[in-house]
Amino acid sequence: MLDVEQIRSDFPVLSRTVHGYPLVFLDSAASSQKPLPVLEAMERVYQEFYANVHRGIYAFSEEATLAYENARDRVASFINARRREEIVFTRNTTEAINLVAYAWGRANIQPGDRILLTEMEHHSNLVPWQLLTQEKGAQLAYLPITDDGLLRMDLLDSLLDERVKLVAVTMMSNVLGTVNPVREIVRKAHAAGAVVLVDAAQAAPHMPVDVQELDCDFLAFSGHKMCGPTGIGVLYGKEALLEAMPPFLGGGDMIRKVEWESSTWNQLPWKFEAGTPAFVEGIGLGAAVDYLKGIGMENIAAHERELTAYAMERLSSLPGLTIIGPPAHQRGGVVAFIFQGIHPHDIAHMLDMEGIAVRAGHHCAQPLHRRLGLTATVRASFYLYNTAEEVDRLVQALERAGDILGR
Amino acid sequence: MSSLYSETILDHYAHPRNWGRLPSPDIVADSDDPSCGDQVHLEISLGPDGRVAQVAFEGEGCMISMASASLFTEHLQGKRIEDLEGLTEEEVLGWLDAPIPPNRRRCALSPLVALRAGLTAYRRAAGG
Repeated sequence: MLDVEQIRSDFPVLSRTVHGYPLVFLDSAASSQKPLPVLEAMERVYQEFYANVHRGIYAFSEEATLAYENARDRVASFINARRREEIVFTRNTTEAINLVAYAWGRANIQPGDRILLTEMEHHSNLVPWQLLTQEKGAQLAYLPITDDGLLRMDLLDSLLDERVKLVAVTMMSNVLGTVNPVREIVRKAHAAGAVVLVDAAQAAPHMPVDVQELDCDFLAFSGHKMCGPTGIGVLYGKEALLEAMPPFLGGGDMIRKVEWESSTWNQLPWKFEAGTPAFVEGIGLGAAVDYLKGIGMENIAAHERELTAYAMERLSSLPGLTIIGPPAHQRGGVVAFIFQGIHPHDIAHMLDMEGIAVRAGHHCAQPLHRRLGLTATVRASFYLYNTAEEVDRLVQALERAGDILGR
Repeated sequence: MSSLYSETILDHYAHPRNWGRLPSPDIVADSDDPSCGDQVHLEISLGPDGRVAQVAFEGEGCMISMASASLFTEHLQGKRIEDLEGLTEEEVLGWLDAPIPPNRRRCALSPLVALRAGLTAYRRAAGG
């Protein structure tokens, strides 16, 4: 069990009030709050040894470089990568996926090829593939979902024909909360000769992720959703694939030798890290990974499972409330719902008036909402610092919103 | 509880004024905000004096956008085309009689977005 009170004391922002009420922060799926060890790690860089990494001869730069590269080691260990060379720092999940779409995609996708996505993908795991297939004369295909928000795994084999070169799938839906059977998808995709990219933006912060066990070829996630700072994300790629890929962005740091007409590339992972990297943020992400590991990803996942089950039970007792997505045991800490025909923006606004932060809208998944016959939903999402009392506050505030706005 | 949801807004949301369509409107306009799904369809008929004679709307969306559209139709009555073209965002927000926070301005202004699109089409059709 987590000592949630102890954890909450690590997050200064959680003690603030909003509109006179204690803050209830239920929007960690969009971006999480930051604990003191992360804030302190970054402040220490700026106050004690800030200097550009990788090229400086002086001691400062050496210290910064060591700290940054040490963060890479910790991230590699966090997802159980075989080698540190397989961890490429990006800005976020979106940039990591775009990197693959650009560098791997342009070299490997031919006219007539297919990329298989699912109906529950976030725009960031959808639009880069639209750009790629449009440019290459290739096609997109979608693994459908059930009305409950589960993947139609029964259709996977028939969709995995010889045209499919890549499968890009989310490990956990940011709307439905569904946790997908990624290992099985990878196994089937590999048997069909396809490469697999896993969008772990919602998974990496909330549950153990082991890239060797999943056997995925690429995996992407963001620092800011897992207690780390904004501006730093991760692309994991199998070494052989990364090695064979052309670079993504060109510039400093990613080169070995530059001539007037051409250049050769730096070794992995720096081949994909052009320009001065967000190394302070990288060091912050290293601290975030340490923090999460210290608490234990299994413990965090168990806490969120319990909270989600409680929230779903309480919410479904409200008349006129419909929860989107599968039952609690098949999802992570995300609960999207509609309520009494009230527009989600109005609900979010009423909740905000009582200090409760939720998200309302399409959550960057417009095609999914259309598939569900909805324009928008309200989403409450949980993290290690949320409590059952906060769920109660949400339910009570919804009751009041229903009294005022419901019809 | 929020003063944003004023009596005026709740009333116009629950009882939208001038709801429906007109037999032969001179100006027809739509706004469509894919980010929240607010949709406003606005129709205006001009009288022989060139002033707004009838206004009607239909739509779907949050309380702010629907209440704003309902209030909007009431305030347009009798106005000249030039008045409509000179309509400002602040005027439209003022009609709601409630403090509209920055993140809800877009909802409140959706009827104005529709009107502006309608006026552009009207001018184009009139060859102006």
